Formats: sequence, C-alpha cells, structure tokens
Amino acid sequence: MRRGVVQTLKGFGWRQWLVVLLFFVVLGATALHATFTLRRAIYWRQHQDDPIRGWMTVGYVAHSYRVPPRVLYEALDLPPREPHDPHAPRDRRPLREIAREQGRTVEEITATLQAAIARERERQRATPPNPGAPPTSPHAPPPPPPRRDDGGKP
Amino acid sequence: MTDQLLSWLSAYGLPALFFVLVVASAGVPFPATFLLVAAGSFVAQGELKLWEVCALACAGAVAGDQIGYLVGRYGGRALVLTTTRRFRAADKLARAEALTRRWGGAGVFLSRWLVTLLGPWVNLTSGAARYPWARFFVWDVLGEALWVAIYVTLGKIFSDRVQQLADLLGSLAWVVLGALAALLLGWKLLTYFRDSDAQPPDHSAADARDYADERAA
Repeated sequence: MRRGVVQTLKGFGWRQWLVVLLFFVVLGATALHATFTLRRAIYWRQHQDDPIRGWMTVGYVAHSYRVPPRVLYEALDLPPREPHDPHAPRDRRPLREIAREQGRTVEEITATLQAAIARERERQRATPPNPGAPPTSPHAPPPPPPRRDDGGKP
Repeated sequence: MTDQLLSWLSAYGLPALFFVLVVASAGVPFPATFLLVAAGSFVAQGELKLWEVCALACAGAVAGDQIGYLVGRYGGRALVLTTTRRFRAADKLARAEALTRRWGGAGVFLSRWLVTLLGPWVNLTSGAARYPWARFFVWDVLGEALWVAIYVTLGKIFSDRVQQLADLLGSLAWVVLGALAALLLGWKLLTYFRDSDAQPPDHSAADARDYADERAA
C-alpha cells in the first residue's frame, strides 16, 4: 500500500503538487481558525455581558446586562419613554444617535452606561431581593421606582 | 458599517431588515446573519413580532436571490457564451450545466443556510447555467426559510449576547467554508490515488496528462 502511495506521488506533475499544497494550506488555516473559534466560544460561555456598541438601544443594553432600563435612561438624562409618540412605546434610538444628539461620543455614552450598570449591580448586591417575593423581570413595564428596604440592610 | 446597519434595524425595524437582506442576498457583503440574530433578540425583548420578522426576512432574502439569478441568466449568460466561444469550450459549458442541473438543487439549498458565504455566487452560476427557475425558486425558499429560522431562533435564545454570538457565527462561517474547500481538495487528491491504483504504475502518467491538458488548452 505504502509503495503504491510513493509510486503515485512520484508520478505527480506540478498540477497535482499544487493540489497537495493547497489541501494542506487550507486544512491548516481552517484548523487554526477553528481553534480560535472554539476558544472564543468557550470564552463566550463564561462571559455573559455583551460589549456595548453604538448600534445597541438603551433597552438592549439593559436586557443584556440585566438591569432595569430606567437606571440607564436616568444615567443618560433621558425620559424612560416617549409620551408624545403613541407608536413608539420604547426609545428605539441606537446609542450612536443618542450620542450625536447629546454632542458626545459613543465611548463617553458607553462609559456612562458602564458606570451606571456597576452602581446598579452594587446596589443589587447590597440589597438582596426579598426571598418571599416573586422574581421580577428587569423589563417589566413600567419599572418600579427605586426603593431601599431598610429591613434588608446589614 | 455593521454598526450602521444594525442601527437602522434598531431605529426602523422591519423595513430595514427587509432592505438589508435584499441587498445582501443579491451579493453585497452586508452582515445579514448578524441582522437576523439581532432581530431574534428584538423579538425576545418584545420589540418585534416573530412571524413578521420571519416573513419579511424570508421575502427579502428570496427577492435578493432572484436578482442574482436574473443577473446570471441574462447578464452573465452573454458573458459566458462569448467566453466559451472564444476558447472553444462549448463542451465544458455543457458539462458544467449538466452538473448544475443534477446537483444544483442541493447546491442552492445548502448555500442558503450552511455555506452562506457561497450564496450569491450560486445564484449567479445557477442563472448563468440556466438551472430551471421554478426549481431554483423552490430550493431557495426552503433554504432561506431554514436559514431565517436557525438564526432568528439563536438570536431569541441568546438575546442578551447578540454581539458576541454574531462574532462567533461569522467566525464559524469561515470554518465551514474552509472545511468544505479542504473536503473538495481532499476528494480531488483521493481521485489521483484511485486513478493511479486502477492503472499500472507509470512514472510519467501524471506529467503526460498535464502535458496533454496544456496542449488542449
């Protein structure tokens, strides 16, 4: 069998060798890329938060980071809804548009949101939810006003 | 660019989705998969309706594919005929067309949802090789429906991690394409070994074949 392979290889012209070369190059590149993809997938499983990007709406960031949208709207000095427009129950503007309207960069908006998220998470850690209360969705409209439960404080 | 298109989706919803999918399926390299995943996330957040997203995404993708097919059939066809006449390769064209007719359905179907990077090319070649339009359309609709279902569902399930999921899927698309190319090249290599097993060992057989090919060309 091995002799047959050697015989075949000896009979190869430049076209055949080109196919051999291409085969190994493509195979190597694909294997390398597959490894990167796999590593990224593993990283992805462990890190829940999506990086904040200009296309995202405030609602999406709140959804991704599991914080009430109201917290983020307040951080950006925005009303949580647009009462003047009955067809737009939510603010669907992407962050880049909000940034443009406020004369800021997307990076500044991102930093503001991240700070607000960090504060909110800190607050959630400090006041754990009442074990008897039903779980609340961060998107339940309208969001309840912030209330600190004195009994829950350490 | 991706950011801009997704901003349109956030701001304008379904019309933006439809428009981007038409253009992307016709061959402009827009991140259509990313948009579908994002649309799935918006469905999960209650911003868009599932059936509207699926219907409009399918309609947009199928419409874009028809543009590619028509360009291949009426624009590409003339170019292909001129080229083959010039190189006297009418028999090769006939063989390619026969191959497309035989395997075209599977090619169209798989390039809709599995090897999506090849989609626009398959549209062009199907049109240029005169693959029957009715069959192209049926396989196209089936493939696009599956594609939309897969990515909108993924977006719905991982609705809080759209950016990372889309990056991952984009990366995976290249792995699938690379694997397919490696498979085809491996198959070609295998035929060399099989041909050589079938024939008595002859050192110069392959070179002689090359020489004959060059003379013919």
